[in-house]
Amino acid sequence: MYQWLDERLDLSRLNTKFLRKAFPVHHSFFLGEITLFAFVVLVLTGIFLTLNYEPSTRPVKIEGYNDPVPAAYASILYIDSLPFGAVLRSLHHWSAHIMIAAAFLHMLRIHLTGAYKKPRELNWLIGIVLLVLAIVTAFTGYALPFDNYALTATGIGYHIGEAAPWLGKAMSAILFAGELEASNTKTIPRLFSIHVLWLPLLLLAMIGAHLLLMVKQKHTQPKYAEKVAPGRILGVPAMPQQAVMMGVLFLVYVAVTTFIAGAFLAHPVEAFGPPTPNTPSVKPDWYFMWIYGILQILPQWDLKILGANFGPQFVGGILVPTLIILGAMAIPFLEPQKEKQRYLELPSQHPRRTSFVLAMLMFYIMATLAGYKIDFLNANPNLSSGTLIAILWVLLIVAPILTYIISYILMKAAYRSREVEIEFTGRASAADD
Amino acid sequence: MADHDHDTHAHGHEAALEPEAPEAHATRRAVLQAAIGMGAGAAVLSTLYVGAGLIPKKEITPDREPIAQGDVLVYSQGPKRGQPINPAELKPGAEMIVAYPMNPESQVVKGAELKNTLLVMKLDPGTLDAETAKLAAEGVVVYSGVCKHLGCVVSNWVADKQLMLCPCHGALYDPKESGKALIVAPKPLGQFPIKLENNRIVIAGEPTRPIGVEAATDDGIRRV
Ligand code: HEM
Ligand code: FES
Repeated sequence: MYQWLDERLDLSRLNTKFLRKAFPVHHSFFLGEITLFAFVVLVLTGIFLTLNYEPSTRPVKIEGYNDPVPAAYASILYIDSLPFGAVLRSLHHWSAHIMIAAAFLHMLRIHLTGAYKKPRELNWLIGIVLLVLAIVTAFTGYALPFDNYALTATGIGYHIGEAAPWLGKAMSAILFAGELEASNTKTIPRLFSIHVLWLPLLLLAMIGAHLLLMVKQKHTQPKYAEKVAPGRILGVPAMPQQAVMMGVLFLVYVAVTTFIAGAFLAHPVEAFGPPTPNTPSVKPDWYFMWIYGILQILPQWDLKILGANFGPQFVGGILVPTLIILGAMAIPFLEPQKEKQRYLELPSQHPRRTSFVLAMLMFYIMATLAGYKIDFLNANPNLSSGTLIAILWVLLIVAPILTYIISYILMKAAYRSREVEIEFTGRASAADD
Repeated sequence: MADHDHDTHAHGHEAALEPEAPEAHATRRAVLQAAIGMGAGAAVLSTLYVGAGLIPKKEITPDREPIAQGDVLVYSQGPKRGQPINPAELKPGAEMIVAYPMNPESQVVKGAELKNTLLVMKLDPGTLDAETAKLAAEGVVVYSGVCKHLGCVVSNWVADKQLMLCPCHGALYDPKESGKALIVAPKPLGQFPIKLENNRIVIAGEPTRPIGVEAATDDGIRRV
């Protein structure tokens, strides 16, 4: 059998060229794999959902509701009533969170270890596109249950999109098939197509390119490999060892996330109810919370250029995130180097870069904190909203700067003491862990 | 231009006999590049044209017509959904009702259009400022329900402060002072002039501001 296939498909060449390829091992490398697992689970659970979901707002009469409800809403209740339906839907929901979180942590790992440097700039760029695509995909799926909460939350995104100068209205109208409101019957079919077809296909293509580049350019490896076998790749072969490891890890991943999905059901649509004129108090998911926070503390102003408005909604909702994305894309090009990067760098040996990453994380946390402005105000009736906004602004700007300075000083101090240690003992203790 | 064209053409002809002529290559390349460029341009244009078709035309059905003078306010939800609001039944200062306008002739409730959402409340007439009182009737005031910030329905009533609250980002509007925006929102909510007729609330004219999300200016904002 193998021989028959080999003669036709040249399997042994595939074997020596790809399957025996050595992959360096480090626990932080699993972050990229977890992202991949989350995507696989999203596709599988998503297929189940499409088989039972009705992408329509046609009114249907169902038990327990006096008035007709949108068919999309009713079909989510139906899915929840199927055997394991609610678990699979929750698994889909939590996997989206996990995919975004894992991609983000994976990106931090790449940044902290210098793996973005030549020759891997392209894969860094593809990676950022993947992270953005993952977030946009999650956003387009949000409105599909068509409950009051989902519709309100998506509506905010719709209006942020509209705030983009010149193109905003057209872009929002294309994404949502017109205006986003409960009575627009075209929105759900449009979002459905984008969410289950176009964006997943795009993600799939980009993930493929990402992994191909990774294989072609060879993975960076931990520093000890340089001492043990300089110039060679130290790792385990893709087949069978790496594949078995990945397979086991995938099964563990599925087991753990399914348990989570069973224990914590996601987005209880029946608690939110179908859309009504009443606005529920919505909070965006954690990956939008920082944008939501910035929107809450920006002052209001008016700036018209060539008929387009550059207001705070545009600045907070579009400009700041775009600048951060562009800044992240520029990172590998700010540190050009002649040689190819082959080994991981230690975060402790790059105090400036590491401190910068910590400062950005602090910025993210502080902006997220601003997202709870209303809750702070409700909890402290004596606090004036002006004072709170001022405090949040100070935190947003000062905390990241302080984080940078403190972590830089600490790392410099710690690193210097280690240099001394190296002089004494001739080796760095635990330097390569 | 025509002369030049003729010239290159002649060269191209000779090239057929003499394959090495470099100008012939250049011309052929230019023609091919122009063809590819025009093809790509046509492809982009037609894609954009198809793309423009992705923006659907808005259908104006009777339940989506804009708010008009003479419209009667009805409950948007709850047990009395679709029934006219009786101003005598409103509890002063205690509640705010999310309402839709109804065409009095056809009896069609124009609730399919988000922008038609209206807010109705009865306040102590003594607390209203002059501008607001002019458009109110016996303390009943009516505002557009679409938040100026990012378009949520301003559906909550803060009874102890007598303010309208948008749950999305906490914008506060003051119904006693022409819908002035206190925080978050860039502009005041538009107020509708109304009159009371046969125990009904009737729209009596245009709102004080355009309806829906608006850009910021300085008017009407009290910075806190
Ligand atoms: C969203 C979906 C993503 C998936 C499915 C994914 C998947 C992977 C996998 C499986 C690996 C190899 C294992 C590892 O090093 O962790 C990898 C490597 C890599 N990824 Fe991603 N990734 C994603 C997003 C990102 C992002 C957001 C970035 C950065 C902006 C990025 C940049 C890289 C780079 C530069 C490598 C090579 C690492 C090295 O050689 O050390 N990826 N990715
Ligand atoms: S949409 Fe009303 S406060 Fe933001």
